[in-house]
Amino acid sequence: MIPLTWYLALSAVMFTIGVVGVIIKRNAIQMFMCIELMLNAVNLTFVAFSSYFGDVTGQLFVFIVMTVAAAEAAVGLGIIIAIFRNRESLDVDDASVLRL
Amino acid sequence: MFNLLPSVPQLLFVLFGAMALGCAVAMVAQRNPLYSAISLVGVFVSLACLYLTLQAPFIAAIQVIVYAGTIMVLVVFVIMLLNVEEEVRRPLRLTYLIPVGVLLAAVLVGEAAFMLSLGSSAPTPAQTTSGSDVGLTASIGTGMFTKYLLPFEVTSVLILMALVGAITLARQGRTPLFAAPGNVDEEPAVLTAGGDVAIKPGDTAATGRAYAREQIRSGDAAAPSTSAGEEER
Repeated sequence: MIPLTWYLALSAVMFTIGVVGVIIKRNAIQMFMCIELMLNAVNLTFVAFSSYFGDVTGQLFVFIVMTVAAAEAAVGLGIIIAIFRNRESLDVDDASVLRL
Repeated sequence: MFNLLPSVPQLLFVLFGAMALGCAVAMVAQRNPLYSAISLVGVFVSLACLYLTLQAPFIAAIQVIVYAGTIMVLVVFVIMLLNVEEEVRRPLRLTYLIPVGVLLAAVLVGEAAFMLSLGSSAPTPAQTTSGSDVGLTASIGTGMFTKYLLPFEVTSVLILMALVGAITLARQGRTPLFAAPGNVDEEPAVLTAGGDVAIKPGDTAATGRAYAREQIRSGDAAAPSTSAGEEER
């Protein structure tokens, strides 16, 4: 059987990649996708623990995390569209102030 | 714990884990957002396969349907809608902080390795029983609609709020600055009153935006009497 720590290590590395992406990326959509990657890394941890301890609660949490991710996608992409309409750019450095 | 010959689940884990990691690194390394999105789909699919190795078929199916199917379609739609250009390479700022970053990353890796080596004695129950029904749809539905009913309902309220918020954010078609050419029907004469700007048939929203920017730059934003729609902005 696969040790639980393998899943945890994979999840940690994926989360770290997501964090690095959020930090080094300038494009708003790519930062958004890195956030999705971080959420997925946490989901992997949830499912691994749930499966290894025989408890269904972790998978319910994954369901709720996915719902929150979908809501975040809808609102976040709406904000990105609004920013692009006003500034014609997705560079987050161009949108560093809230006023136009 | 480790046999010399890896078992089939271990091989599958290594395969899909390597796929997930490779796609994740590719996603961060890409400069074109569309390629990043496709790499992210690869991450989602390999994560779904990992969920299957964890005997969680429901979550695997939901992962493919919701993430790879819905969210990524939304992201790709937005990328194509906005016609995003590739990220330009720009000079690094704060170069002297790079050694500090490398040091902190090394500390983090050491810490994680220490914790994981401690955890190798963790219990591995429940997965040995292949007949476990933890990941099946029936047990998840039972848990969701009995013990966790309230969080489930709160989640539906959250989805409703996100729906309303997304529509409000994405819909700004009322102001003349964003209007389509055929949409400018309310008194274009107001725009021509103070200055010499008239809306011509070929004008688009970009023309209006360029005009407004020119006005702001030249400092006499109040000179042509703005229409009600521009005030609203």
